[in-house]
Amino acid sequence: MTRTEFWQGNTACAEGALAAGCRFFGGYPITPSTEIAEHMAVKLPKKGGVFIQMEDEIASMASIIGASWTGARAMTATSGPGFSLMMENIGYAAMTETPCVVVNIQRGGPSTGQPTMGAQGDMMQCRFGSHGDYSVIALCPASVQEMYELTARAFNLADKYRVPVFLMADEVVGHMREKIIIPDSVEQVPRKALVKGTLPFKADSDGIPGFPQFGKGYGVHVTGLTHDERGYPCATNPKLHEMLVMRLVDKIESARHEIADFDIINPDAELVFIAYGAPVRTVQQVMHDHPHDNIGFLRIRTVWPFPEFALGEFKNARHFLVPEMNLGQIAREIERHMKVPVTSLPKLGGELHTPAELLAALEAYR
Amino acid sequence: MKLVIDETRCKGCNLCTKVCPYKIFKEGKKANRKGIIVPELDRPERCPNCRLMHLYGRTICGVCQLTCPDQAIHWVEEQPYEPKKVAIEY
Amino acid sequence: MSFEDWYRQDRLPHIYCAGCGNGTVVNCTLAAVEQVAWKKEDTVFVSGIGCSSRAPGYIVTDSLHTTHGRAIAFATGVKMANPDLHVVVITGDGDLAAIGGNHFIHACRRNIDLTVVCMNNQIYGMTGGQGSPTTPLGCLSTTTPYGCAESPFDLCDLAIAAGANYVSRWTSYHVKELEKAVLAGLQTPGFSFIEALVQCPTAFGRRNKFKVVADQVEYLRAHSMLKAKHDRLLEQGEPVPKDMFIVGELMRRNRPALGVKP
Repeated sequence: MTRTEFWQGNTACAEGALAAGCRFFGGYPITPSTEIAEHMAVKLPKKGGVFIQMEDEIASMASIIGASWTGARAMTATSGPGFSLMMENIGYAAMTETPCVVVNIQRGGPSTGQPTMGAQGDMMQCRFGSHGDYSVIALCPASVQEMYELTARAFNLADKYRVPVFLMADEVVGHMREKIIIPDSVEQVPRKALVKGTLPFKADSDGIPGFPQFGKGYGVHVTGLTHDERGYPCATNPKLHEMLVMRLVDKIESARHEIADFDIINPDAELVFIAYGAPVRTVQQVMHDHPHDNIGFLRIRTVWPFPEFALGEFKNARHFLVPEMNLGQIAREIERHMKVPVTSLPKLGGELHTPAELLAALEAYR
Repeated sequence: MKLVIDETRCKGCNLCTKVCPYKIFKEGKKANRKGIIVPELDRPERCPNCRLMHLYGRTICGVCQLTCPDQAIHWVEEQPYEPKKVAIEY
Repeated sequence: MSFEDWYRQDRLPHIYCAGCGNGTVVNCTLAAVEQVAWKKEDTVFVSGIGCSSRAPGYIVTDSLHTTHGRAIAFATGVKMANPDLHVVVITGDGDLAAIGGNHFIHACRRNIDLTVVCMNNQIYGMTGGQGSPTTPLGCLSTTTPYGCAESPFDLCDLAIAAGANYVSRWTSYHVKELEKAVLAGLQTPGFSFIEALVQCPTAFGRRNKFKVVADQVEYLRAHSMLKAKHDRLLEQGEPVPKDMFIVGELMRRNRPALGVKP
């Protein structure tokens, strides 16, 4: 039966992971995500899971990939500087199609930046941070409730699409405390097991191969080198490499409609806000204060793969306004899809946009 | 049993020549079709594994097989009617 | 049943150069795994990047060929998530001591139940022969063309100081002893580190005056000194010749281990 709690965003994220069946956490403390690690350190062993504090973020990412290959649902949590360190192994997870969840509670950057202030400066990095072409899924929660629900959803997406899934939260949502309603259970969709006798990296019709778990007698060789369907390295074969990379990208891009999660409010508005993460709250306040001003709102929860088809729902839109706590990283992505002008409303410094600022922008473009 | 060097794998490094305690290998003289000078066997029937593996049920010595970086050394049973050379000890 | 059954026969012959010591060390490791009677389904090989780390691709069990230097971190994840699996890490000197140095010392400290076989050829072989943290003083490589100016690591000393339970060093000449050492490492709970000095005829040997493979192996043999003899010389106050590798079982203790099923 559902219950109501008053939790911090980070706590909700950890609890959502536990409810989704997460049984391995390998992490390294970094403000503002440390509370997730601390909560997992207390709760995971009670559920028969394993918590290990690794020596750095690179080892954290490596350990969750190793754990994922033994069949466990594994996650780690970090922030900007740690995220940059994890990039090589994120590329490895994408190449070897390892399901895992990486939580990034974004903070002011670049470099050490503002450890205790929120930002959304890693959005492009999560999509393009590692070298080479690959595709990932990124979810952005805007409230403590969403921290719980989206973390749980992240595990199902990771297992289904065999890809690293990012929960791109920010310090505002991570550190705030809010009421949350906890469902009595969370649906767990397990990985598709590999049928014995099929080649380990041969994709099914949906572009995703079955998962050859370690310890079950598959004898699979997993490598970050370009590999053929048997898993053996074939790094000098141009056709094979092209096919492999295209498959890694297509399996996500072709499923963008199933993965997408967004809300459309007032689709016939002329001025539309597009927001994800913490700025959603400010837009919600503006919409609440001015219910008759016909302000459109596209609230995105899955930023990558970007749901550009959602933009088409606003048929009368004259102007899109994108408040972000960065210098327009997603505004740039929206711009390339639209002929209608798109204006980025950046906010640096760690504080949320104020409703007055958004109203001023609205007035300027009315 | 007799000792066989698998020519599809041997790369001619001659480590077996160096490590065999019974000096069964010696450096070859002719290159094979791959261009590799495979070591030749000098009275391989002296190899204790060939003589005694059946008696003891396990590999005796076997240093060449462990050392060979290319896993090219094997012991195989002689075929029926294949002449089997024996070492006579006085 | 011999160690040959653990190879993926369809992938042999492997990519190693003629006379590469790595082939020998993999033979010894697999012979030890065969002796300790682990099942193929329960064994996992993890490796980093380099010539040594290509070995798990030729082994028939589940294997993880990871990013440079991070093999031990991946192996920690595998072992902690499923302690029933037997995890062996195959790595090289650069992979372990240069980029992977941090993971190495922490694994020793944690004493996680892994066995690490390090194929130390004192050079970066796969990338063409650059100097490594174990390249001896004065040796030539592509990045030390005037002779290496840095003193090398003693990997076994590092492992002992950081807390490994079992540390031993042999060369690719001492195949039988190496097999026994790996066997002891597999059986010892906690972190076992076996350093195998190997010859690299193509990258190291060619630049450092070893004309033939056998010369380099002979050098390894001649410059190996058993630990017992080394200790005796020290006791008697005799000078220890320079450039000798101390081989043998260098440490065996019983520090509390991580990842061992109770």
